[in-house]
Amino acid sequence: MKKTISWFILPLTIAVLILISVNAFAEKAKDLEVGITEHLDEYVPSDIMLTDQNGNLVNLKQLINKPTVLCFVYYRCPGICSPLMNGLAEVMASTGMALGKDYQAITISFDSRETYDLGQKKRLNYLKKLKGQDPSGWTFLTGDSANIAKATKAVGFGFKLVNNEFMHEGALIMISPDGKITRYLKGISFVPFEFKLAIIEASEGKSAPTIIKVLKFCYSYDRKSERYSLDITRITASLTLIFAVSLLLYLLIRGRRKKSNSVNQ
Amino acid sequence: MIGNSSTNRMPSYLEYQGKYTGIRAWILSTDHKRIALLYLYSQLFFFLAGLVMGLFMKLELIAPGQQLMGPATYNALFTVHGLTMIFLFIIPGLAASFGNFMIPIMIGAKDVAFPKLNLFSWYLFILGATIILVGIFTGDGPPDTGWTFYAPYSLKTNTNVVLTVFGAFVLGFSSILTGLNFIVTIHRMRSPGMGFFRMPLFIWSLYGTAWIQLLATPVVGITFLMVVADRVLHIGFFDPAQGGDPILYQHLFWIYSHPAVYIMILPAMGAITEIITTFSHRTVFGYKAIAMSSLAIAFVGYLVWGHHMFTSGMSETARLVFSFLTFLVAIPSAIKVFNWTATMYKGSISLEPPFWWAMAFIFIFMIGGLTGLILGSVSTDVHVHDTMFVVAHFHYIVFGGAGLAFFAALHYWYPKMFGKMYNKKVANRALLGLFIGFNVLYLPMFFLGFMGMPRRYYDYLPQFANLNLLSTIGSWILATSLIVVIVNLLRAKKGTPEEMDDPWGGRTLEWKIQSPPSLENFEEIPVIDHEPYDLIEK
Repeated sequence: MKKTISWFILPLTIAVLILISVNAFAEKAKDLEVGITEHLDEYVPSDIMLTDQNGNLVNLKQLINKPTVLCFVYYRCPGICSPLMNGLAEVMASTGMALGKDYQAITISFDSRETYDLGQKKRLNYLKKLKGQDPSGWTFLTGDSANIAKATKAVGFGFKLVNNEFMHEGALIMISPDGKITRYLKGISFVPFEFKLAIIEASEGKSAPTIIKVLKFCYSYDRKSERYSLDITRITASLTLIFAVSLLLYLLIRGRRKKSNSVNQ
Repeated sequence: MIGNSSTNRMPSYLEYQGKYTGIRAWILSTDHKRIALLYLYSQLFFFLAGLVMGLFMKLELIAPGQQLMGPATYNALFTVHGLTMIFLFIIPGLAASFGNFMIPIMIGAKDVAFPKLNLFSWYLFILGATIILVGIFTGDGPPDTGWTFYAPYSLKTNTNVVLTVFGAFVLGFSSILTGLNFIVTIHRMRSPGMGFFRMPLFIWSLYGTAWIQLLATPVVGITFLMVVADRVLHIGFFDPAQGGDPILYQHLFWIYSHPAVYIMILPAMGAITEIITTFSHRTVFGYKAIAMSSLAIAFVGYLVWGHHMFTSGMSETARLVFSFLTFLVAIPSAIKVFNWTATMYKGSISLEPPFWWAMAFIFIFMIGGLTGLILGSVSTDVHVHDTMFVVAHFHYIVFGGAGLAFFAALHYWYPKMFGKMYNKKVANRALLGLFIGFNVLYLPMFFLGFMGMPRRYYDYLPQFANLNLLSTIGSWILATSLIVVIVNLLRAKKGTPEEMDDPWGGRTLEWKIQSPPSLENFEEIPVIDHEPYDLIEK
């Protein structure tokens, strides 16, 4: 039997190596001038200094010490920023995870002319929607143009000033505790389930309850449609393989039938 | 010693009287040998039907322009020809008929593990075939999609795709259950002393095949259901207008249908191994290498489906990887061919008809295999994709490979199965005719394809006329020879038990029992104390 198994190992190894190398070929596109270019698996630089709602200078990388939902808006925005912030507040209220403990939210104004006291005003406004949640889990940041440019470039957020208003796109950016960009949830309203899955993904490395792991296995992030979708192929493939392997194991363990069989005509 | 003396013979499985008589003694029998014959006869019936369709296609192509039929009829004809030959003849192939007959005998068992399931598989086979037949003759006419049912055309055509596809779905279940039955039989029913590495190599090849049947067939089953869902419920899995992906269909289809080629060819290689060993009167060369190459083919065969889609829209990387993996499959296939050659080397070869059939198989299969490499490398494939070259390669593998091995096995085991011997001289001459006819029919297609004649058209440009005429003439030689082969088998004469029990000097278990075998194969379960091909005193 051992020999039989070793015959299987070589082709299996080859197959795995090939799969890995195929993934490594993933293409890299040029960043959009306005809009979001996904920088998945990249890290937030450690030299971005921004001002929090209390006027203290903070290092963005150091601030990110737990799974983080990051979004870029500007506080005077007449467009999609308010709906986006409302959407974020609503999904945080209904997701069932504890803000400030399981994850945190950071909102950054990409308009360098805005100051921290405006951020604080907005913050208190949105916190009203989050009763019972830890208010310290949602930080509102402002900064100078150099630091903002560093931050927006790092996450692929392109915006442009046109007639005193900014053209930009709305999205939530999920960042892992060690500063790695894990997911983009685009749009202005969010499904609690998708939001939760995205945070769980961001918390990768930390142990999560089993049920959550199963969920993660069954739902995968489709980069094209930018949604989580039920990965039916993966599920059926696993079921088939589990069936096949257990059949093989059963047959190997049981061995030959002891009784001789008789024939029915 | 297991042998039966002629004085102590049991009634054979053909004579045995059970609960039922007449036709019910056959269609209600759970005896693996009778089920094997049910498969054999139904498969041969479908083969002849497919052959007639093929002849008509060749007749249409005898000269440029319309001869017998218009384009729509021709489209339907090549579709139904493909469906019949692939799903009803060669996928059940050697496994359903000879596998059913020989697995229990070769491993020293009285029957397969699940005899009733075995009979049920045959019923599913017939049910699926009937549904396909109904699909051909009802509704808005037979499907015209080609046997591959490529989306989105298979979703749009007005022909009777739903029924046909559903029939193929039912056939899939027959295949899955047969595979499951064989796996369990091979694991659990081997006689005492018969370890895995004492099994005849035909059994090894069927073992690899059975796993493919079990694991790959569900994929195509689901895919066919998705086509039905798309057509009936307008779900849009494969319809780009509804956000579906036609390329997804091709992936799903070939994930099954490429391994299906190995479902066809693996048992064929197994039978050829048996034949070459027997007629070389030598222990097989490289037993373990042949056994493991069967598993390797079964395994790597799963990972190469993309080579059918080099021009369908895939990334450069995917194409290179699939091409590379395709080249890998050539290795275990070549291992087999080299071992067959080495087995013959310094053997005491007796030139009986089954051996000649095996030689014809190796010759034709090698042409098929080597032209497969041309299709397997991306750059050359782009040139010959969807041309007659593909048709030629495919027939060299499936007909010249699996089909020829089917008849080789039939000639080899015929005395065992029926206790009769055909006229060997006629058998040899018919094979010669078939060999010539085959090459005259299909070899020109390589050149036609290379010159740019596309496949699946009822008409062609004048410059292709001569080679097409030659090919059509080949089809007549081939068909005539096949008729001679079959008539010769039907006219086989009963021999004495001594002549029939082991006419070739075979060493595997089936040659140590009476011909035709008794109902229970062995009166006493044999105990195996030697390697499968050892030359021992009888």
